[in-house]
Amino acid sequence: MPSKGQQRYDAVIVGSGAGGGMAAWVLASKGLKVLMLEAGRHYDPKREAPMFAAYADAPLRGEGTPDKPFGFYDAAIGGWQVPGEPYSSAPGSEFMWWRSRMLGGRTNHWARNSFRMGPYDFKPRSRDGLGVDWPIGYEDIAPWYDKTEAIVGVYGSNTGLENHPDSSPGVLHDPPAPRVGELLIQAGAADLGIPCVPARRAVLTRPIGDRNPCLYATSCGRGCPIGAAFQTTTSLLPMALATGNLTIVTDAMVYELRLDRQGRADGVNYVDKASGAHAAAYGRVVVLAASACESARILLNSKSASFPDGAANSSGQVGRNLMDTVGAGMGAQFPVLENRPVYNEDGAMGLHLYIPFWLYKAQARGELDFPRGYHYELGAEGRGQPRLGMGAIAERAGGYGRKLKEDVRRYYGSYLHFTCRGEMIPNADSYCEIDPDASDRWGIPTLRFHFGWSQHERNMVAHFQATTKALIDRLGGNIAYGDVPPGEAISTGGEIIHEVGTTRMGDDARNSVTNQYGQSWDIDNLFIADGGVFASKAHKNPTLTILALAWRSSEYLAAELGRRAL
Amino acid sequence: MNGEKQARPRVDRRTTLKWLAATMAAAQAGCAGETPFVGPEIPPAPARGDALLGAAAAPRGAGYGADPDLMHPSVPWSRTLSDGQLQTASALADIMLPADGRSPAASDLGVTDFIDEWVSAPYPDQRRDRETILAGLEWLERESRSRFGASFAAAGESSKKELLDSLAWPVASDADLADGVEFFRRFRYLAVGAYYSTPEGMRDAGYVGNVAINGPYPGPSDEAMAHLEGVLDKLGLELPD
Repeated sequence: MPSKGQQRYDAVIVGSGAGGGMAAWVLASKGLKVLMLEAGRHYDPKREAPMFAAYADAPLRGEGTPDKPFGFYDAAIGGWQVPGEPYSSAPGSEFMWWRSRMLGGRTNHWARNSFRMGPYDFKPRSRDGLGVDWPIGYEDIAPWYDKTEAIVGVYGSNTGLENHPDSSPGVLHDPPAPRVGELLIQAGAADLGIPCVPARRAVLTRPIGDRNPCLYATSCGRGCPIGAAFQTTTSLLPMALATGNLTIVTDAMVYELRLDRQGRADGVNYVDKASGAHAAAYGRVVVLAASACESARILLNSKSASFPDGAANSSGQVGRNLMDTVGAGMGAQFPVLENRPVYNEDGAMGLHLYIPFWLYKAQARGELDFPRGYHYELGAEGRGQPRLGMGAIAERAGGYGRKLKEDVRRYYGSYLHFTCRGEMIPNADSYCEIDPDASDRWGIPTLRFHFGWSQHERNMVAHFQATTKALIDRLGGNIAYGDVPPGEAISTGGEIIHEVGTTRMGDDARNSVTNQYGQSWDIDNLFIADGGVFASKAHKNPTLTILALAWRSSEYLAAELGRRAL
Repeated sequence: MNGEKQARPRVDRRTTLKWLAATMAAAQAGCAGETPFVGPEIPPAPARGDALLGAAAAPRGAGYGADPDLMHPSVPWSRTLSDGQLQTASALADIMLPADGRSPAASDLGVTDFIDEWVSAPYPDQRRDRETILAGLEWLERESRSRFGASFAAAGESSKKELLDSLAWPVASDADLADGVEFFRRFRYLAVGAYYSTPEGMRDAGYVGNVAINGPYPGPSDEAMAHLEGVLDKLGLELPD
């Protein structure tokens, strides 16, 4: 119970990224009193994002280091390792866990790729007998995708392609014009019967309120102070704060649920990182949105007489079904692109075109040796801003001196990059659990990861590689990297930073952690609003779906609170 | 995932290098007793006073940490190269990237200072490069003095090229030079990357971005589209509708 004078909020939300930001805005807009606890520090991109700053002015030309893995100017405070907050991988496993410790979480630097999951993606088991179906179908979430895209701001086009749903008319922003490299790939792909269409990214090309459209320069990963590239710190959080109903506490490291004698959630316990003091926050409802694995960690660490295996874990599924996107890449140099005319190729600093999965029919006929889909992300800013990686051109050019300078001019802009983003099927070897031997600087037990790809994923990578080589060959290119065996080409688990599934939703309390609204089967006033609730990991990047599900769940939560069911 | 990510070449960085053995100790002279790094420890080599280029200073200073001020970038560690090492590095960078009608020589664009910043940094990748580059610079100097009776920096252009050609255009029979070739490639990677990320280098390469555009992104220029159409024609391809 709250001590005298301490507030009991309607909802306590853990985490300020996509899921937490959406939940906070939806609930605060309905007049509910909301407390948000964020494990990282306050962050304001309007004051801290280094737009336009030159690589030459950054330490080590801005290259990645253990302190800043994606480069000096990357917005993320955090990375593969967070000082004082370790995690481990079990022997024989390797898992990489990216954590951002800042207001807005990982939304501050994500790539903004925003593809809708389609009808097949919600019913994968019905389609191929693997994994599990979601408790909802595409038709249940379609209206929430529309609403989410409208408030987030997504550029793209309706393509009518199989399992790549259209948005309602007027929702999408106009996509930016394709660049030369993308047009070249599009022409080559068309010749091979492969579609290449406008990508969908959470980047405005028309204003929304005080958020400005993209100005087509300076990496989205640095944070976007003009509000064009979506992040909660320029959108949902200011909107929620404007209601007067949201209180945000940063540097608050939540480590367990508070449970009352009836086994219901009473709030959470956290460490105030500034002082090291332990504190409690109280709410009628608790919403976990700390990221899939961090939320699982909080639940597994919330042990009591009634929950000896952790809270909300009667199914034993908390921490299980850990999935990440299948990643692989290949790059090539294209003689036809040498010495081409100069123009500004920065564009929206991300995908303009992409290749959606196109082989559903062949797959249904049993012609492929992998059951799920992948898409291509295209690195076609051939004349992107030069940085230290320009040195790689010298490898192709060889030699030194005036000839080398001429060769740099010739080859710059002649490289294209192909990235595979594919679906992983949950498997029994991939999960996280509490490490019995380790804890963080506050004494909170930490996670230990187990991870393994199956032949499904390796076969998919092999298909991507063969297709990419055919495309490169059709365009007269020379492979520069990535032509290695699939088992080497495939990403390390967690590396694509799409980890999901560790508190999955379902329609049966015996094999899932929450119902279709992210509501715990065991604790009815506990909700989960991050990627943990994903029942499968479609190849589509998860953030848009996290946002749409969080909105849907929050409406349900508010209605349940309204009728005093919670 | 991230817009800042860019493909990096896979460079085989062997840390125990036969070719470097003779010069490693000299290159690391001065490290003994110092433990200023935040990275994994490399055992300090015994101090030696006979480094031709003078010993590099012991690296000092930690990294910039997980939460540096992005609006006011600064390098918290000290530069460590000796005057002799800097002169050799400058001479090497300038013969790799000399002045021409379009842009100045590498040392005039701060490439030498960048190499010093890089090899003095406290991170694991940079510390591996430090071993390779300090030993390589010392090797260049030793070879130059023994073959031409002059320091590398003072040697004539043809002498310099004679030395570099064996590293730049290696033949299989020169297996003994494998580590020297690796040094040459790594130095060239850093020098070229540092050079073309300066304003002058970007202008030379033909980069015209990093400017705000009002209104829709214009896409390729007419000239760029005409070029692309010629390319597609050659390949027997067409622009989709």
